[in-house]
Amino acid sequence: MVPILTVNDVKLTIDGRPILKGVNLVVNEGEIHAVLGPNGAGKSTLASLIMGINDLKEPDSGEIIFQDKLVNGLDITERAKLGITLAWQEPARFEGITVEEYLKLSGRNNPELDVVECLELVGLDCSYLNRFVDDTLSGGERKRVELASVLAMRPKLAVLDEPDSGIDFASMEDIANMIKTMRDRGTTVLMITHREEIAEIADRATLMCDGKVVQTGNPKDVGQKFKTMCVKCEVRNPELVGGE
Amino acid sequence: MATKNVLDTVAKKFIQIGLPKDLFERNRFNLLVDRNKIIVRYPAPGVRSEVIETPTGVKTKVYVEPGTKLEEPVTLCFGAAETTEVQTTEGEIVVGEGADVKFQVYGAMAEGIKLKHKNKLKVRVEKNARFEFLDLHYNGEDTFVELDTETDAYIGENAYFRSVFKQTRGRAGKVRIVLKAQVDKKGVAVFETKMIGKKDDEIYVEDVIHLNGEESRGISKSRIIAVDETKATFVGETYGNAPRCRGHIDCSEVIRGKDVTVKAVPVVVVNDETAKVTHEAAIGSIDKKQLETLMARGLTEDEAVDVIVQGMLR
Repeated sequence: MVPILTVNDVKLTIDGRPILKGVNLVVNEGEIHAVLGPNGAGKSTLASLIMGINDLKEPDSGEIIFQDKLVNGLDITERAKLGITLAWQEPARFEGITVEEYLKLSGRNNPELDVVECLELVGLDCSYLNRFVDDTLSGGERKRVELASVLAMRPKLAVLDEPDSGIDFASMEDIANMIKTMRDRGTTVLMITHREEIAEIADRATLMCDGKVVQTGNPKDVGQKFKTMCVKCEVRNPELVGGE
Repeated sequence: MATKNVLDTVAKKFIQIGLPKDLFERNRFNLLVDRNKIIVRYPAPGVRSEVIETPTGVKTKVYVEPGTKLEEPVTLCFGAAETTEVQTTEGEIVVGEGADVKFQVYGAMAEGIKLKHKNKLKVRVEKNARFEFLDLHYNGEDTFVELDTETDAYIGENAYFRSVFKQTRGRAGKVRIVLKAQVDKKGVAVFETKMIGKKDDEIYVEDVIHLNGEESRGISKSRIIAVDETKATFVGETYGNAPRCRGHIDCSEVIRGKDVTVKAVPVVVVNDETAKVTHEAAIGSIDKKQLETLMARGLTEDEAVDVIVQGMLR
């Protein structure tokens, strides 16, 4: 197993409140790695730090290493050029930009880009090419277009922040298949979620709670721990975190 | 009418500032004017026109025969290829009952010129007619235009009028755009303004819609991107004067630069208890999530801003 992303003892405090309290995480090349945890565990903050968004370019301490390169302090574009991207939980909407243009922008460095294929892989047909990436798309459609844009870019690492949120139960299998397709096409996936059902498609999973990693391992075991302990506690569970 | 050499010279200068080459290569123009000289004039079916050259510009009268339906837009260009002091254009357009036409009007001010352009336009869209007026402006980066344009429109019963003012390339200059509409029963008026101001440009846009007829509709939409030291003001006034009329004002302005001043003034007046007029106004910097999304796909910040701005101005 070759690590593609290594998070070493990352700590971050925002407005005096510790959000990440020494996170350690290794994501291996070619895997789907789920980061599971309740709301407020620090999962999305970790995703932001990996991509450098929301003014989170570097942690207070610790290292984020992507393919042997320290990415602390790099801006978003520099990280994207290294091969990292992120799909937002609630993707941005763009006035006056068509789906086709959006996918072409995303995949402008992908010599094998096929925008129709990217759409088909997320369950949308070519009639969407001329649609605008604005409010005229439903939440579910926008989410699919976002995943299509990741497929178009074909990054080395895709951080998917809650790819299952706002998706109806019937479409969950589609989303799971899209994520597997991403991996099968050579993209390592780091998937942030608080639903153990979707985490089960991962090759490995990490449970986070209260800004710390509780457990990393088999998604079923991690999901079981999340289901039986984290969900019940809702708020911080010192015993659980102490058991790390 | 001008010789081919004159047309080639004008074409070269206008293509240089971004006018589509195809317009010249395929002789798309129904009327092409360089300041006060008619360069091209070619009739469109069902459209009668009278064009008179004046010392500083042209006067036009256009009459679209009732029932005329054109798939291709009527294409006009009022430009200035050489440095001049003033250009004045006056126009009157009557769209006959039941007609359905689109006018694509190019304003082209060649690179480096300084010009005052005054324009007055009267529009009358008769009953059941549909008229779209796309006013596309191309200026050079070193062009400075003082543009003062006023449009007065009457939209008849069940008629539709859409006016789009779009500054596609170059600096806006000093701009005053006033659009007024009187809308009759079940008529629809749509005003859209999309502009980008750079350096010390000054932009003033005023949309005034009087919804006088029962169930008439009006939308006034502005998208102004203000960069550097631009000063921009948008005034949107909609008057709901008739039963069940509906109006909406939507202004979304983006500022980019420390010395930018942008003002949005929505005025909503309702004189009938069943009328409804709403407004939304937003002024702010480029949406951060949009910016970060494009950067996360590998675009630089400047490239991402450009994509977002061009999308808004589309």
